[in-house]
Amino acid sequence: MLEFDGVGVRIDDGHPRVLLHPLTLSVPERRVSVIGANGSGKSTFLRLINGLREPTTGRVRVLGDDTRTAGRRVRRNVGFVFTDPLSQLVMPTGREDVELSLRTRRLPAREHRARAEEVLDRFGIAHLADRSIYDLSGGERQILAFAVVAAVEPRILVADEPTTLLDLGNGARIRRLIAGLDQQVLFTTHDLDLALDADRTLVVDDGRVVFDGDPGEAVARYRDLAAATCTTE
Amino acid sequence: MRGYGTTLGLFEPGRGFLYRTPLPVKAAGSLAVVVAVVGWRSPAVVVVVLAFTGVTLAVGAHRSPARILRMLLPALPVLAVLALSQGLMTGGTRAFAVAGGIAACLLAARALTLTTPLPVLLDGVVRLVAPLERLGADPERFALTLSVMLRSIPYLAGSVLDLRAAARARGLERNPRVVGVPLVVGAVAYAPRTGEALAARGLGEHPEEE
Repeated sequence: MLEFDGVGVRIDDGHPRVLLHPLTLSVPERRVSVIGANGSGKSTFLRLINGLREPTTGRVRVLGDDTRTAGRRVRRNVGFVFTDPLSQLVMPTGREDVELSLRTRRLPAREHRARAEEVLDRFGIAHLADRSIYDLSGGERQILAFAVVAAVEPRILVADEPTTLLDLGNGARIRRLIAGLDQQVLFTTHDLDLALDADRTLVVDDGRVVFDGDPGEAVARYRDLAAATCTTE
Repeated sequence: MRGYGTTLGLFEPGRGFLYRTPLPVKAAGSLAVVVAVVGWRSPAVVVVVLAFTGVTLAVGAHRSPARILRMLLPALPVLAVLALSQGLMTGGTRAFAVAGGIAACLLAARALTLTTPLPVLLDGVVRLVAPLERLGADPERFALTLSVMLRSIPYLAGSVLDLRAAARARGLERNPRVVGVPLVVGAVAYAPRTGEALAARGLGEHPEEE
């Protein structure tokens, strides 16, 4: 369960501005999508969940833990998948990167390899285990990014635009992968088909959640917003 | 990012006795090469050590002489400058001892990284610095630092190739600033991005922290 209690984010880097206006909501649903224009505050919202960004007002609780005071425990419970897997993957091959994730679990070294193989197999990429991450396709890399995050069995998984860099086929692979995950998953996306797979959708516009509810209605609302923006311009 | 598909200086699966040799033995061998080169500084020792590292790589990792020489290619410009400056200042014999000695050390280090999977190397680093834990150091952070450093080499090499291609596409390949400036800016941006990715995965956090 995620709880946002009056959570707002402001920054002042010479040009003070509000990235997210104060927001209060609870998120018990298993699949939650967040849609909105570029720069609307979607990623800021996601980054609050595993403490990559701290709120300037209010507090975020993840499974009861405050992200500000229990950051380490929160990050153990919340896995984060970035838009570009190359920003996320640190090791030369998939197997090594999964093993790197497992180092945080303080397992005996000999268990790392067996657990890594098990994870890669579960995600259907065991045959790519020893390939350089640079030799993988965009879709394979993104699946690997999910695998390295899921390897440590977080209870919540957060993905920031996981299909943005992918073609239609690979986007569909990621959709199936997200649908099959055991964890609670929150994701931002510009892929409206993916957004419709969720149980609940938030529409973010200019740092405010302007709709929160049924995915079908949310997508309609987002289309109206985008159309209004085009007309204004 | 495109333009490169392999990681420089890292493990490549293969066969040969070096792959079966325990990490501490390989590390001790590499250290012995460095000690010999630095301790004696003589051309004769450099010839012996170069031959030793070359033969070890050829027999122990089944690498052809051409592939062994290619391992030195990335360092060739630096070795050439060093040899030239030493040659002008102290003569040809000294130049050979310095450049040849460094080449032998590079090959010895390459023999280690080529035949040791990175997780095994990281475990070795953790064991090596474990005694420092009593002084408050976190061995896992040492290992993570090493892995990030090794990761940044192919990233930067790839950046150079991509930027060169972009410069060629704009007809600006003769202007070094077109590659140099975005390379530095990209490298600076890469650091916090990597840090953020590690933080998101909970890597590098001390177990006692909270």
